[in-house]
Amino acid sequence: MYMFKYILKRIGLMLMTFSIIFVMCFVLIKLLPVNVDKVGFGEDPEKLKNLMEARGYNKPILEQLGLYIKRIVLDGDFGIGINMPEFQGADVWDTFTKMLPPTILINIYSSLFAVPIGIALGIFAALKKNKWQDHTISTLVMVFISVPSFVYASLVLYILCFELNLFPKTMNPGYDYFSIDMFKSMIPAVLSMSFGSIAGYARGTRAELTEVLTSEFMLLARTKGLTKSQATTRHALRNAMVPIFPSIIGEFISVLSGSLVIEKIFAIPGVGGLYLAAINSKDYDFFMMLSAFYLLVGLAATLVIDLSYGIIDPRIRMGAK
Amino acid sequence: MKTMAKRIVAGLLLVVMICAAFTSCAEKKDGIQLIFTKAGEYTYNTYTALSPSNWNELTYQDNNDTQIMSYIGSSFFGFDFKYDAEGKIVPGEFEIIYEAATKLEDVTAKYKEAWNIQGDKYMAYAITLRNDLKWDDGTAIKAEDFVYTMKEQLNPDFQNYRADSFYVGATIIANAKGYAKQGQAGLGAPTAETYSEDLDASLIFTLAAPGAIVNDKTLLEQCYLRTSMGFPASYDAAKCAAYLIANYLADSAFTAEVAAKMEGKTFAEIKADAEMKAAWDALIKWWQTEPNEELHFFLTDSEYPKVDWEKVGIFVGENEYEIVVVLEKALDLLDEEGNLTYKAAYNFASLPLVHKAKYEANKVEPVAGSTLWTSKYNSSVKTTASWGPYKLTFFQSGKAYILEKNENWYGYGVKENEGLYQTDRIVCETIKEWNTAWLKFQAGEIDGIGIDVSIAQDYKNSERAYFTPDDYVGSLQLQSMGEALSANEKDDNGNAQGIDKEILGYADFRKALSLSINRADYTAKCTTASKQGFGLFNSMHYYDVANGGVFRDTDEAKKVLCEVYNVDYTDTTKYPTLDDAVNAITGYDLDAAKALFTKAYNDAIAAGTMTADDKVELVFGTGAINESVQRHYDYLTTAWKEAVKGTPLEGKLTFKIQDFSDAWADDFMAGKYEICMGGWSGAAWDPGYFLLAYLDPGTAFSAGWDTTKQMMTFTMKGVGENGADITETMSLMEWYDCLNGATGAKYNWSSAALAESQRLQLIAALEKEVLLKGYSVPTYNTFSASLLSYKLDYVTYEYNTFMGYGGIKYMKFNMDDAGWRANVKAEDGKLNYK
Repeated sequence: MYMFKYILKRIGLMLMTFSIIFVMCFVLIKLLPVNVDKVGFGEDPEKLKNLMEARGYNKPILEQLGLYIKRIVLDGDFGIGINMPEFQGADVWDTFTKMLPPTILINIYSSLFAVPIGIALGIFAALKKNKWQDHTISTLVMVFISVPSFVYASLVLYILCFELNLFPKTMNPGYDYFSIDMFKSMIPAVLSMSFGSIAGYARGTRAELTEVLTSEFMLLARTKGLTKSQATTRHALRNAMVPIFPSIIGEFISVLSGSLVIEKIFAIPGVGGLYLAAINSKDYDFFMMLSAFYLLVGLAATLVIDLSYGIIDPRIRMGAK
Repeated sequence: MKTMAKRIVAGLLLVVMICAAFTSCAEKKDGIQLIFTKAGEYTYNTYTALSPSNWNELTYQDNNDTQIMSYIGSSFFGFDFKYDAEGKIVPGEFEIIYEAATKLEDVTAKYKEAWNIQGDKYMAYAITLRNDLKWDDGTAIKAEDFVYTMKEQLNPDFQNYRADSFYVGATIIANAKGYAKQGQAGLGAPTAETYSEDLDASLIFTLAAPGAIVNDKTLLEQCYLRTSMGFPASYDAAKCAAYLIANYLADSAFTAEVAAKMEGKTFAEIKADAEMKAAWDALIKWWQTEPNEELHFFLTDSEYPKVDWEKVGIFVGENEYEIVVVLEKALDLLDEEGNLTYKAAYNFASLPLVHKAKYEANKVEPVAGSTLWTSKYNSSVKTTASWGPYKLTFFQSGKAYILEKNENWYGYGVKENEGLYQTDRIVCETIKEWNTAWLKFQAGEIDGIGIDVSIAQDYKNSERAYFTPDDYVGSLQLQSMGEALSANEKDDNGNAQGIDKEILGYADFRKALSLSINRADYTAKCTTASKQGFGLFNSMHYYDVANGGVFRDTDEAKKVLCEVYNVDYTDTTKYPTLDDAVNAITGYDLDAAKALFTKAYNDAIAAGTMTADDKVELVFGTGAINESVQRHYDYLTTAWKEAVKGTPLEGKLTFKIQDFSDAWADDFMAGKYEICMGGWSGAAWDPGYFLLAYLDPGTAFSAGWDTTKQMMTFTMKGVGENGADITETMSLMEWYDCLNGATGAKYNWSSAALAESQRLQLIAALEKEVLLKGYSVPTYNTFSASLLSYKLDYVTYEYNTFMGYGGIKYMKFNMDDAGWRANVKAEDGKLNYK
């Protein structure tokens, strides 16, 4: 019951935060100046100004906000792109929903690949603390964390895709996302995104587990007769996961916006860079749709992460007095 | 532990379910391949950095969209190569051919009465279409389809982006503007015939030209005073006021300052302000001879009147395949023998065409708060119709599109096209990263790529490399606004900080900057294949297209460069021919540069705009600081710092690079910084018009250079009565207006009125004035370098301005798709293009 009330309260706060930031985004983007005089040679100097007028962009901003919300709620219409060269006249919702799956899939595959390997390496390093295995892993972790992902991407593209010809150089076109061919074409991007994550998880797990393994309750567990393996998996690992697990969720959510560089290198038709382009181009409808989406995802993620603490560690009870 | 494991499994399942939910939103289709391998088929694989989004002829906004449009449409008339007696292509020449049309007639006389055509500016043409034109779905295309499309193009409810193509520029269809703009609000002439004080609050004083924005409202018309005085469109309110003051109102209360204050004010506001009232009294006293003439100075809220479609100059002619177009501006599409001129293929190649049923089905009603109708026509495979050689069969935004032969295209049955159009399929992938495209090119997956500067040394001598000229002249733009330079010297609080920028206002300093650049070395090190440039125009600019007249090849243009860059072409001992003199130009003279730097410094010190302790700090602005821009910046600033060595400016000349993002050009024109790289392309076949880019303060980078006051004395040879010369002293803009036959200009020396060979002398004179002023410093003529796959060849590698390399029509394949794949495999997937 405590939990239920807590969740309701958090959802209420979430909606309030969402509304405030949503309105701020709408007002701020509309306040940015638009140069309606910028037409080319031999073009009607009035046309941009007239288009702004006809689209209703010259009405008071709050009136525009009301109309915008009405349009979404009553018609499910998120508008069309107007300024970004690749999306002029494109339906915002259709475009977004078509471009989101590649981004999500690559991030899911990347997480599925990076999390077990990263955690396993971290556990192994913690158990072999200060031995050569630990030093090797720690050194590699430092290297992989320091090198930006576009370097991995370039190396993967050149070595695996070009020299060895193991994978396609760019992601396949089409929408058959679960075919073998499509999966194969995503592997270079997945690998490029995973290296840094593997290193991050390995470092985090090693640090947490090393600390937990030296705790007094671990000594108690061993004196009660548990083997080292039993004590580690049943008690140490679980405690070490308290900060690691939420970070997995956090990272997954944060990369929903796509990796601009990785998507560019492997020609992935995802949403990476779309938000930035929408802001730069003052493409109102794209900007608002993307703002709302990421805002909602971000707020929901915060809630999920907070709740996940209670799942991982039963001692943590959200909302309990 | 078991519970933990269950939770992890549950978590994973949740992730998979979310993934499935998102992907279910996507359209399910079979796998699409971009690499085709069948024997007997010919696929052209290409790539683009920007995916097209809207290839609707009525609304497309940028060249990016034309990549699909050019394959799915046809033309009435087109350019073609000219062949000699042996069947070889004649370099640089062209022919005009009929394509989707079979006949073009001048029918002005026939429609003169019905359309009240008066004077020689109006013309009517009848275009007869082929009777076998079809859409890709087999629907026949007739004249009425073009008329329907034009009606939709100009439909005021849509405000289509390309509607102005038919009422601004070269092709102006009778009453098209009125139809497209009907109902739009703005400021127009008062409807009241009698003036009364009741109107004061609604009358707005303005001397601005039609199209200008006053009080956020567009001027639909101009005030009667402007009409009566015959002010040309290029005169803004300030210039009109200055003219009135100089000629009629000197020493009156109507001064330039008060005129600017009055602009946009209501009559009531003017009367309420003592200063403006005094100015008004002076103005009306000079002007008024009859009652109600107060109204001559004002506009009021108005809107474009309703126009019936029947009054627009396009309709079906005598049969269902004949389109008649009434133009408000003569286009000279036919020569005296009735043959097509180049303008038929250039200005009038086609009219827009949409598939009526599909277009109607894809109209979208205005959303809440908007009055604008939109359309989804030609934005996906389903909504696309083709009447060109290819049809769209696959499109994924941001990823790829595929075009395949349109079997219903009339052209495949035309005898002249036999053996042409070998390409069965065009596959285009969106690849934003050049390095990725480069690897794909080497792996035989795309058939052409631009040579990046990073590989230029290794590949520009490749047998598969070719070089394409462009009309873009890369230039340095130097700040022309004296007040801005002075303001930029100070910090945010307006305090001096020991920085001088005003030295850029000295022509000697600007010329010194120009002479410090070794253009040949600069282009070799900073560009892939561009060549040193000295003039505003390059080899792509034609002053006389019909006769193949390249501006830069003329004696007049050559002399301009010699005079600007101090090469004495009259010294025949040193330069036996004019060409020898031109070839001697380098634009690089360090000694002269040092002398000019010193002179500018001394002048600045003497004038007190600079002190001996000041350092010169110039901001080099750009839209993005990337590797290429940084390379240009480093080269130029090093050259300039080297050039001031041994002068009083040594150690004092500094530069700063700054990113101004998308606003870099606007910010430069607003005087926010001092140097940028910028140039112009377009209007390559009309250099006389193109001069606007350098002379009009509203368009040019040199926004602070008042070309309406910069006077030039010049003799136009052989243009007066009986071939007499005409010598005049006029401002540069007045000369420009004469050159282009602007309304109100003293002479009409437009293309329609004067031979191109005679206009040439004035174009050259104006180019010289711009170059001597030194606000625009040309540095290179753009050439792009590319590599073409071994799989195919162009019909010629000598670039033809009119035909390029022949395009998809003439492309020849050396092997089919199967053969090519086998070839790539034999090379282990890595082709050597060195």
